[in-house]
Amino acid sequence: MASDSTPSGFQQVVRPSSPDNSNSSPIANTYSSPGRRRRRQSITPSGTPQPNRSRFASSDATPTPSRHRRGGGIPSGRRGPATPTSTSEDFPMSSEGGDGYDMDDAGPTYVWGTNISVEDVNDAIQRFLKHFREKSASQGGDDDLDMDLDIEGKYEKLIKQVIELEGESIDVDARDVFDHDHELYSKMVRYPLEVLAIFDMVLMNMVTRMNPMFEKHVQTRIFNLKSSTSMRNLNPSDIERMVSMKGMIIRCSSIIPEIREAIFRCLVCGFCSDPVPVERGRIAEPTVCLREECQSRNSMTLVHNRCKFSDKQIVRLQETPDEIPEGGTPHTVSLLLHDKLVDTGKPGDRVEVTGIYRAMSVRVGPTQRTVKSLFKTYIDCLHIKKTSKSRMLVEDAMEVDNGQGRNPEEVLFDEEKVAKLKELSKQPDIYERLTKSLAPNIWELDDVKKGLLCQLFGGNALKLASGASFRGDINILLVGDPGTSKSQLLQYIHKLSPRGIYTSGRGSSAVGLTAYVAKDPETGETVLESGALVLSDRGICCIDEFDKMSDNARSMLHEVMEQQTVSIAKAGIIASLNARTSVLACANPSGSRYNPRLSVIDNIHLPPTLLSRFDLIYLMLDKADEQTDRRLAKHIVSLHYKDYENIEQDVLDISTLTDYVSYARKHIHPQLSDEAADELITGYVKIRGRGKFSGSSKKVITATPRQIESLLRLSEALARIRFSESVEKHDVVEAFRLLEVAMQQSAMDTRTGTIDMDLITTGVSASERMRRESLIQDTRNMIMEKMQIGGRSMRLLEILEELKNQSPGSEIHLNDLRSAVATLASEGFVSMAGDSVKRT
Amino acid sequence: MVGPQYDLLANPLGAVRSTFDAAIATGSDPTSLNNRDWGVIDLFRNLLSDQSHLSQVPLLTPATVRYVKPYTLVRFRGMIQDMLGNEFYVGAFKDGSVWRTNKFTDFCQHSIPVGCSADTPIWERRLLYCVPVPGLNSWAEPSAEAVGNPSMDWTSEQREKRRRGDEESPSNMPVEGDEVEGSPNTKRMREGECTSPASQSHGAVPEIAGSSMSLLPGLNGNSSSCIVKVYDTPESELKLNDIFEFVGILTSDPELQEDNEDSDLSNGFGEDPLHHFPADKVPRLHCFIHRKLSVQDFLQNKPIIEPKPDLVKGIRESLLRHLSAVLGNDEVAAHFMLLHLLSKVEARVDALAVGKFSVNFTCFSKETASIGKQLNHAVKNLVPFTHCMPLTVQYLNTASLAPKKNYDTNRLETGVLQLAEGSHLIVDETQLKAGTLNSVGVENARLLKNVMELQKVEYDFKYYKMEMATDVQLLVLSEGKSNILPADVIVPIRPSATICLEAVAAEALEAWRWYLATVRQLPHSFESETQQVVESDLVAAIQADRSLNTQDLSRLVTMGRLMCLSFGETTLSLEHWQMTKELERLRRERLN
Repeated sequence: MASDSTPSGFQQVVRPSSPDNSNSSPIANTYSSPGRRRRRQSITPSGTPQPNRSRFASSDATPTPSRHRRGGGIPSGRRGPATPTSTSEDFPMSSEGGDGYDMDDAGPTYVWGTNISVEDVNDAIQRFLKHFREKSASQGGDDDLDMDLDIEGKYEKLIKQVIELEGESIDVDARDVFDHDHELYSKMVRYPLEVLAIFDMVLMNMVTRMNPMFEKHVQTRIFNLKSSTSMRNLNPSDIERMVSMKGMIIRCSSIIPEIREAIFRCLVCGFCSDPVPVERGRIAEPTVCLREECQSRNSMTLVHNRCKFSDKQIVRLQETPDEIPEGGTPHTVSLLLHDKLVDTGKPGDRVEVTGIYRAMSVRVGPTQRTVKSLFKTYIDCLHIKKTSKSRMLVEDAMEVDNGQGRNPEEVLFDEEKVAKLKELSKQPDIYERLTKSLAPNIWELDDVKKGLLCQLFGGNALKLASGASFRGDINILLVGDPGTSKSQLLQYIHKLSPRGIYTSGRGSSAVGLTAYVAKDPETGETVLESGALVLSDRGICCIDEFDKMSDNARSMLHEVMEQQTVSIAKAGIIASLNARTSVLACANPSGSRYNPRLSVIDNIHLPPTLLSRFDLIYLMLDKADEQTDRRLAKHIVSLHYKDYENIEQDVLDISTLTDYVSYARKHIHPQLSDEAADELITGYVKIRGRGKFSGSSKKVITATPRQIESLLRLSEALARIRFSESVEKHDVVEAFRLLEVAMQQSAMDTRTGTIDMDLITTGVSASERMRRESLIQDTRNMIMEKMQIGGRSMRLLEILEELKNQSPGSEIHLNDLRSAVATLASEGFVSMAGDSVKRT
Repeated sequence: MVGPQYDLLANPLGAVRSTFDAAIATGSDPTSLNNRDWGVIDLFRNLLSDQSHLSQVPLLTPATVRYVKPYTLVRFRGMIQDMLGNEFYVGAFKDGSVWRTNKFTDFCQHSIPVGCSADTPIWERRLLYCVPVPGLNSWAEPSAEAVGNPSMDWTSEQREKRRRGDEESPSNMPVEGDEVEGSPNTKRMREGECTSPASQSHGAVPEIAGSSMSLLPGLNGNSSSCIVKVYDTPESELKLNDIFEFVGILTSDPELQEDNEDSDLSNGFGEDPLHHFPADKVPRLHCFIHRKLSVQDFLQNKPIIEPKPDLVKGIRESLLRHLSAVLGNDEVAAHFMLLHLLSKVEARVDALAVGKFSVNFTCFSKETASIGKQLNHAVKNLVPFTHCMPLTVQYLNTASLAPKKNYDTNRLETGVLQLAEGSHLIVDETQLKAGTLNSVGVENARLLKNVMELQKVEYDFKYYKMEMATDVQLLVLSEGKSNILPADVIVPIRPSATICLEAVAAEALEAWRWYLATVRQLPHSFESETQQVVESDLVAAIQADRSLNTQDLSRLVTMGRLMCLSFGETTLSLEHWQMTKELERLRRERLN
C-alpha cells in the first residue's frame, strides 16, 4: 500500500482498477484492504441514479479473496431498494464517477448528481485530519508542517491511539469539521454517503501509512452535528442527509446476524465455493457446482459456520417528553445499528443519535418486485451518545476544579442565546423579574422566592489547599401552616432544578435518601445503590414533609448538608460518595398550626443540629392581614377574568429561566470585591453586637460563623443573578436583608423580640436559659428557707404554690419546676421520690 | 373534466387526477407540489361549504359501511384516539411520459419506476386513528337522514359512474366485494358502553393480555373506527382526543396486507402500526377537509336561536324543575347540578385549571340509591358524551383508566379516562366497600384524583408519563364525603319526596340540550364595580373563616360566573352574585 503521504500517492492507491493488482503487500489479506478495494469496485462506470443506495455492507469482517469478483459492472452496493442491509459505518458504494480513478488523466470527478468533486473532498478531508488543531487558528498551508513537529493534530493523535488500542472507529466531531472547513461540513451533511466513503478511504490510507501492519478496518463516526433535528420535523427533504436527534430508546430488537458472505459446498463432490457476497440483499446461490469435473445441478448447500455474519440491531427511538407539543403523541423512528453500535443503548436510555436518514420502499410481497408507493424510514446510525436526563446542564460549575478536564462534549449555548441571556441580565430589574417569574401562580411570598432564587443560582464552592472545603450550596427550610403553598413551591423548584429529586419525608428511609448496599441478584456482588441525595448531586433535593421523616433518616442529612458527602461503611464497602446537593425541605409545625407562643424549635420539632445547617429558614405563616387578603382576592378574580394574561407578560417562561440559571451556574463565578468584603465584616460585627445589651450580663448570640458562610453564598448567588463577576456591596446588603428576613421569622425570641441564634443552634433561647436559671435559684432559696435537712418532704405542688406566693407576678409551670428540682437533685441538694422532694 | 358535483361525490379520485393534470399542464413542477394543494381541496371545500351538499356525503357508521362504496366521498365523525405518525409515499411519478400522483390513494395501479429520485418525489401524510366518540349517547348519534342518502336512489347513475371508475381503477370491483364481506354490521359499540354500570364495568376492562384488537374497551374488529390520512395540515390543528368530522375518500384494499417477512426493518418487531388494523376491518379515509366538532354539532335539530335572556330563563327554570325532580325535590342540589353541567375549563394558569366545577353529592343511602340511577339517566339525556364509573375496589384494581402505550404494537391503548373534551363522568362511590388496593388500584385512585384536581390525565408511555389536559365534568356520588376524590364542592342531598318522574317531552329535552351546549360556550366578562364587590366579599369571607384557602375562593368566583352564564348573560351582575352567595350559604348550612 502506498505509504506516500501526498494526495497523488493516495490516488495511486486507488487507481488500479484491476482488483488483482491490488496490494501485493503483506496486508493483502487484511481487513483493511477489502473495504477499500470493494469501494473501488463500487466505482462503476455507470452513472446510474441510485436513490436507494444503501451504504455498503461492509467491510470489516470480510476477507478479501472473493472481493475480486466484480459484479459485472453492477456496483455491489446497489441493492434492491427493499434491503436495508448495509452495515454500519461506511462505504456508501456510491461514489460513482469512480471511473475517474481508473484513468490516470482523470480531471475532477464528480459524485453523481452533485457538484462534489471527489478529489476536492478527498483533499479537504486529508487536510482536516492532518491539520486540525483544537485551538489553532491557522489551517492548511505549509506552516502547519512546521507545527506538526511541535504539536500533533487532534485526529492524528486519535488515529495513533486507535492503532495502539486496535480500535475500530474514530469519532470525528462534526464541529471540528465545521470549524476547519465549512464547505466540507455542508457537503458531508448533504451527501453523507459519498463523503463518508471518501472519509473512510482517507482514514484508512493514513492508518496504513502510520502502521502498515494494522489489520483492522477503521471507520469514521461523525457526531455532534451543529444542528440537531427534532424527530417531529423529519420530512422527505431530510432523506439521505445526515441528521442528529435526541430521543429515548424504547425498544431494542434482538441482535440479528446478517449474512455478509456465504460459502456453499457441493453435496456431491464436496467442493466448496468461493465466498459469495451479498448482493442486493440476497445471495446468489450457485445452481451448478462450479468444479468442472462435477457440475452437478442443484447440489450446492450453505455451510453455515463458514459464512460471515455481522451484527445488526433495530432500535426504536422515541421523542423525549419535552419535545412533544400539547395534544400530540410522541413520534418514533427506527434506528439501524451495526457491529460495534449494537447494544450501545438499552430501553429507557436517552441518547443523541447521529446518522443518515433513509427511506426504503415497501414491497408488496416478499417475492414480488412491485413496490408499494409507501416508504419506511429509518436512520442508519453513525454514532450514539447517551445524554443526561435533567433539564439543566449537569456539568455545572458549582464544583471547584473546573477549567481542567472539562468535558469536551458538554453542550454549549449558541451565541444567539447567550447574547439574549446577557441582554436580559443587563436589565436593572432582573432580580425582581426573576423573582416574579419563579412560580408566578403562587401569590406573595416574595422574600421566600428570592431565597429560592439564590438557592437555584448557588454560591461558589471553595476548596482550600489544605483539603478543607466549603460548600456553595444553599439549604433552605420552609416551615409553615398548611395551605401556604409550600409543596407547590417545592414542586416548582424541583421541575426547574438540575437533577432535582423530589421525595416525601414520610416515604423516605435513610438509605433511600443516601445510599445503600445491595446484592446483585445475578452476580451476587455487592453493589452500591444511590439514594435521592446522591442522585441529586449538584442539584436540589426537595424533601417534603421533612418533619414526618424518621429521626434515623434525618440524622443522615447531617453529613450531607455540611460535608456534602455520604459515607457508607458496610458489607465490605467503605465509600464516600459526593452529594453536593442543595436541600430544600419543608415542614409543618408540630401542632399542625404554628403556635406563636412557642419557640421555633418547639414548633418545628427538629434537632437544632440539623436546623443550624439550613442557611435560610422561612416561616410561612398564614397571617390575618387585610392587605394581603385583598390582594389575594384580586388575584383570584383576575384568574377568572383573563387578566392573568397581562400579569404574566413580564414573566420569563420556564425554559428561558432554566437557560438563564444554567448559564449563570456554568459561566459566572463571582469574586468578592473589597468593598463587599468590608461590608460583610462590618455587617457581621453589627449583628453580633446586637446581642449585647448594655447593663446586662446576658449574652445573646445573634450570629455565628455559619452565618458568614451563608451570607457569602447568598451574595455570590445574588451577583450571579446579575451575571456579574464580582460581588458588589449591594449584593451583600441584600444578602443581609434576606438572612434577616428569614431570621426574624425563625430565630426571633418570642419573649424578647430579638434575634437569637441560640434558638437555632441549641434550641433554647438565651432569655429562656436565664429564666430557667433564676427559677433554679428561687427554688433553691425557697427550699433552704422552708425545709430542713432530713425534715419532712414536700410535694412539688406545694413548692409551686410557695413560689407563686413569693413572686406573684411570675408564671411558673409545673414542668419547669420539675426540671429545676431535678437540676437541684443532681447537685445533691435535694432528693426526689415521685412527687415528693426531700432536702438532703 | 371536473364536471358536475355529482362526480365529486362518486368519483373524487377522478377530480384529484384531473386537477393534478391541470396543474401539471399549467406548468407546475410536480416535485414542487409537496405539501401543497393544487386545487383539489378548494374544489371540495367549495362544494361542501353548502350544507345540502355536505349532507349528501354519506356518513361512515357501522350501519353504512356496508353499502358505501370504496373510492367515493364519505364523512366520518370521531375522536382522534391515537396518532400513528407520518407516512412517506411516492407523491408523484412518471408513468412513461405522463406524471401521475399518488396523493389520496393507498397504492397505485401503475408500476412505479424504482430508484430514480428526481422522478419520484417523496411526500408525507399523517396517519390518525379515530374512533367513535367514547360515551356517545344514542340521541346524539346521527339520525338516518343525516347519515347521508343511501345508495338506492342513485344506483343507476352510480353504476354508470362506476364503469368509468373501473377503467381507471381496475381493483375497484374486488375491493368492494371484500368490503361487504369483511365488515358485517354487528352490534354497535355504544350499545354496551353506557347502558348500565354493570356492563360498563365489563366493557371497560380490556383484556390486556388479549389480542391486539382489543384496543378500545368494547371495541371489536368491526366497530366503526377508521384510519384517517391527513395531508398538508399543520400539526397543531389536529390534537389527540379532539373530535373531528373528516370528509375524504374511502379506500380499503385488502390486497395491500402488510407482508412483514420481506422487510428487514419490521423483522425485529411489528413496527408498522397499520399492521394491526387489517384494511377489511378498519377502513382508510384519505381526508380532504376536516372540521373540529363541538358539542353543538351533536344536537339533532339545531334550533338556530340567539340565546335571548327571557327564552333562556324559561328553559333554565324548566331544566331546574326537572333536575330537582330527579334529585327528589332538592332545589339546592339541583342548582349545583345545573352549574356543574355548565362548567368547563376556561383557562389553565400553571397547574391550575380555572373554571372546573366538580360536585360531590353525599348522603346517598339505600333509600336514595334510585336517585343515583335517575341522575345518571338524566345526565345521559342532556349531555352527548357521558360515562358512569362504578367505583369498587375490584374495579379500581382491575380497570385500566389511563391510556397506555404498548410498544409491542406501537399503539396507544386507550383507557377509560381517554375522554373527549366536554365529556361527563359520574363516579358512583356508593358501592365502594372496604378492601385492599393493589398497585394498579393505587395508581388508578391517584389518576382519578389528578383528573379531579388538575383536569389532567397521565398517559403511560412506560418510560415516562405524559400529562394530557382534559376537560371532563366530574360528578361524584357517595355516602359520606369522598376522600379518594376531593371534589370542588360537597353537597349533601336532602331528597324530600319519593320521586315519581313524569315522562319528559322530547321538545323539552331538545331545548335543554341546546341550552346546555350553547350557554356553556358563552363568553363572559366582569365589570369593575362588581369586581370590587366580589373582592370585598372574598376578603370578608377570608376574615370570617381563616380556613378558607385559595381553592375555596376560586371556586366561589367560578360559581358566580356559572350562575350568570346559566341566565344566558355574559356579565356578572350583583344580583347573580348574591344568588351565588346565598347558594353557598345554604350548602354550608347543610354541611354543619
